[in-house]
Amino acid sequence: VSRVTVTPDPFTLIAYDAKEIAAIVEDCAALVGVDPGVDIGVAVDEELFAPLVGTTADVVDGRVEIWISGGNLENTRQPRTFAPEQARRDLTIALLRAKDRLSDDFAAAPDDGRLSRGERAAWDVYAVGRAARLGAPVRRQAQLYEFRLQHGFTDVADAAFDRLWQAASITWEGIREICKETGAADRPDSKIPVDLLRRK
Amino acid sequence: MKKFLSESELARDERFVRTKIEDRLFDPRGAKVAARNTGPAKMAVDRPAAAERSRSLMHGIFVGEIQALEGAGRTCYDFDDDAAPFQLKLDMARQCWDESRHCEISVKLGDHMGTEIGEYTESTFLFAAACNPDPVLRLCGVNRALEGLAIDVFSSMKDFGSQSGDPILEFCEDWMLADEVTHVKMGSDWLRRLTEKDPERRERALEFQRTVDAIFNLGGFRGEDEENPIQLARKFRELAGFTDEEQDSLAELARQSTEQARQMAQMATAALDVSAQGGGS
Repeated sequence: VSRVTVTPDPFTLIAYDAKEIAAIVEDCAALVGVDPGVDIGVAVDEELFAPLVGTTADVVDGRVEIWISGGNLENTRQPRTFAPEQARRDLTIALLRAKDRLSDDFAAAPDDGRLSRGERAAWDVYAVGRAARLGAPVRRQAQLYEFRLQHGFTDVADAAFDRLWQAASITWEGIREICKETGAADRPDSKIPVDLLRRK
Repeated sequence: MKKFLSESELARDERFVRTKIEDRLFDPRGAKVAARNTGPAKMAVDRPAAAERSRSLMHGIFVGEIQALEGAGRTCYDFDDDAAPFQLKLDMARQCWDESRHCEISVKLGDHMGTEIGEYTESTFLFAAACNPDPVLRLCGVNRALEGLAIDVFSSMKDFGSQSGDPILEFCEDWMLADEVTHVKMGSDWLRRLTEKDPERRERALEFQRTVDAIFNLGGFRGEDEENPIQLARKFRELAGFTDEEQDSLAELARQSTEQARQMAQMATAALDVSAQGGGS
């Protein structure tokens, strides 16, 4: 089992339990097949609430570093309460992307803070499609909408979405090719950092 | 059937979860987030959590449409023909038809964005504006303040649809926007007719409208700057019968609300920091 650390511990603004989150991360890591020798750090930003959601998944010196907004773990029907199933889903997706980073297929991928929005949206679809096949309660239409916002509301973009969703294996180069195909690679850079929510 | 229904008596099925505005106001995270840079509040594809924020707003619009339907419906029933002429009730009945259609469109837009009914909580403070026992004040609260807000919301959503290249959102919002302009126009016309010989009542009604407008500006929700998620739609408001003077007054009110929200966030953050350091009384 991977060694998991969750911060903050304890939470001070909201009644989340670091141990409960760590147990979920351990389960998800085993489910997606993260090497048990890899340590995992999860930083929950307890100041953020829904709909200010976001995650990053990087690998630093062989250790998986996940940052996640408290909003991703929050029950939108009962604000300020923890939503275990939703947490399980979003942490599974983050860990799938982290596992990608541990493989040679994504060795050339920049850190999450330096990905373009198009690259991130495409990679997310690849991860969410796999999470769905692992039994996570994902929302396909929500993912399609996120993808369309960055890749366009076009037939080309929708076809690319389907390929990413169904893909059993894809590489970083494959993600970049899809961004070229939909035109997302040609979109001008935004002045707003892609990981702005992570920056305090 | 009961007349003058309070907001606590609104009928909802088990999918809906009601929340109080105080729950959000007293959430300690609110002050922390207000002090952070979470990107431009104005809707755009490159702002953080763009999709989730759009879905959340779309759900808010949907429940707002239900409450607008309920408000117009109550006005058809709550007053006798002396207090509210039959022609006014006919206008309100037509508005009910429009709002019902908006509810259905909003549900479909929610499906399009990947959300579902009840995924977010409902606050009923919009309906509260429709509970005034004076039909003229109610008309001002609903058809000029609430429907005026709807003009701003739909105009902002239409712009977002256009900017994101989403033809479904842009088209739907444009059609609903046209209805809202008509609703405000009806409110403006009936205000003039019903208070033609009673300037004092007209002023009371306009004062009530300003109070409701101030609530809708809460926390800088609406304004003319990048930090306001909903932009004041001056062009469409003009079509609906708002004067330049009214628009300038509303814009000033919105600026004051945004500044108050900023100051409150700074004070709350300072108080939380003192508390975290073990200070305070």
